[in-house]
Amino acid sequence: MLYALMGLGLSLVTGILNIPNFAHGALFAIGAYLLATVAVAVGNFWIALLIAPVGVALLGLAIEYAGIRRLYAAGHDYQLLFTFGGALILSESIILIWGPIGSSYLPPEILRGGADLGFTMYPKYRLFVMVAAGVLAFATWLFLEKTRYGAIMRAGIENKEMVSLLGIDIQKLFTVAFGLGAYLAGIAGALTAPIRGLNPGMGPDMLGIAFVVVALGGLGNLLGAIAAGLIIGVAQALVAAYWTEASTVVIYAVMAVILLVRPQGLFGIR
Amino acid sequence: MSRTSRRDILKAGGATAVLGFPAIVRAQAKEIVILGLWDQTGAFADVGPINDRGMRMALEERGMTILGRPIRYITRDGATQAGASTRRVEEAVDGDGAKFVVGPWSSGVALAVSEVAKRKKVVHLFSGGTEDISGARCHRYSFQWAASPYTAAKTVVDSFMKANPEAKRWHLLVADYAFGWSVEKYIKEVGKTHGLEFVGADRHPLGEREFSNYVQKAAANRPDAVAMINFGGDAVAGAREIFNFGLTPKVPLIMTWSSGVEELVQLSPEIRQNVWVGSNFYYTADTPGAKEFVKNYQAKFGNPPGYAPSAAYSMTRLLLAGFDKAKSAEVQDVVKALEGIEVNDIVGPMRMDAATHQNIRPYFFMRCKQKAAMQHETDFADIISTGDAPLPKEYAACKDIGSF
Repeated sequence: MLYALMGLGLSLVTGILNIPNFAHGALFAIGAYLLATVAVAVGNFWIALLIAPVGVALLGLAIEYAGIRRLYAAGHDYQLLFTFGGALILSESIILIWGPIGSSYLPPEILRGGADLGFTMYPKYRLFVMVAAGVLAFATWLFLEKTRYGAIMRAGIENKEMVSLLGIDIQKLFTVAFGLGAYLAGIAGALTAPIRGLNPGMGPDMLGIAFVVVALGGLGNLLGAIAAGLIIGVAQALVAAYWTEASTVVIYAVMAVILLVRPQGLFGIR
Repeated sequence: MSRTSRRDILKAGGATAVLGFPAIVRAQAKEIVILGLWDQTGAFADVGPINDRGMRMALEERGMTILGRPIRYITRDGATQAGASTRRVEEAVDGDGAKFVVGPWSSGVALAVSEVAKRKKVVHLFSGGTEDISGARCHRYSFQWAASPYTAAKTVVDSFMKANPEAKRWHLLVADYAFGWSVEKYIKEVGKTHGLEFVGADRHPLGEREFSNYVQKAAANRPDAVAMINFGGDAVAGAREIFNFGLTPKVPLIMTWSSGVEELVQLSPEIRQNVWVGSNFYYTADTPGAKEFVKNYQAKFGNPPGYAPSAAYSMTRLLLAGFDKAKSAEVQDVVKALEGIEVNDIVGPMRMDAATHQNIRPYFFMRCKQKAAMQHETDFADIISTGDAPLPKEYAACKDIGSF
């Protein structure tokens, strides 16, 4: 489900802005670091889980407002380069602020240890993450499908010019989409911190998988991103049970096979 | 009878100065170029900078000179890749005149660099878990500083079983490259002598960060102990996931070939409970060399050194000891001097086996401390034993070290 959350956020930005956001991985990492920092400061994981992704969303809004917005007229190449440069700056900033050496952040006491599911042991915290990420993905889908602003966003993905001609502030739409994408990256990072710990390289690690999810689901297709995230996660878990060494490469193998059959991705139309 | 006048002496002195002094000047100025091949990018990007610290400290201790000649220390980024590393070594040898190479950090990459050292006829010192450099692919130019995988496996298995005689069912998590294969082989060999049953052994790629699948399988096997044969970020991610699954602290975790401080600092005290650690160096080693080095390192960098800077430091000191013994900076003289050299360094007594170029030296085994027992925030573990059993002859794959 974390893959789905990451893919959903990236797909939203890619769909509306029509550029791959290379800074998405760095925003994910900042979400993780912010969670640990806030949790240590306030002494409460749950408060940190609320605050950290909001912080990342605000950072995303600032990036869009201060940088990407000024490059809309310059074309996609410049926006793409900006997000690439931004990713490097954010990654180096993580090292400057939190240092180059990784660290661990433990799950809250109540979610530590493994739960015996009868057929296997599974960490309680990962079970919580599955549920939390599922709820978040569903809430995001509800927002996009059932609210007026969600409909505008989907329309923006399909045809920006048409939305603009209807008198809708397309700039504001871009900003909100980028902020929402950053929020999803931030909360995915925050949820991941107790699982994978904190290290400056965690963003790029996850970015690669997020791009696979977006490509597999179909560029800009939000439902596709959720479905692709689930497919990748399930495929990885299944392969690991029988052929552990192939559990990483299966992510890319599944993408290659599906794209050979459906070059536009599972739900994509372009 | 002719007398030597003051004028004659001055003339002779002047002539000597004219003829001889430029040669002396040239000899003194001829620098010795030593390459530190340390990864600044790739899987071991976090290790390269601290390798560099250790090597630089060893050179600075000697005032950046040896045999009265200046040392020019150059570094190159090996990028944790065989292609990049071999290319950069060749460039340093051909372009900068480097004849002495220390590094890199990855065993798989080092094997490729060792081939370059053989072809280019330059001295190569390396520390890592592959047995091939002092085994099947041994040659005159490469030397292995780390304990042999056999020494490590013997120390870890013997010491752990002494403390946990009932823990006979082991599950292994092994890094899928040269180092992991070598250590795994000897863990299984030594394990036979204790009647160990290996209920599972999964291999994972270098740079793995998602260990849930591996740990799920390990948990399903219900082992008495989990032993990881991996390193750096892989070991940290694995230990964290084993804790998340609730295996540790109930089931002991053995980090067979750990970097020590660099890995342990990334794990919280809760995760370190019931964790047992084998390493080529730990900063509380009770040797005069270690005490001096640790004191200087902490004064300079504010934290104790782990295996990475310590290995770079000690390898460089070993190389310089080779210069001293050879009284020469010629490659073949230094190789001959290093063969059989005995020094007392940070890990204790070391002897470079002339027949295999394998360092015979102690390996450390530690048990991590409970949080309440820690005296300070880097007081991670107690050394509970050391072992230096050399590789038995029947296992030695280096039958002939060869000629120059």
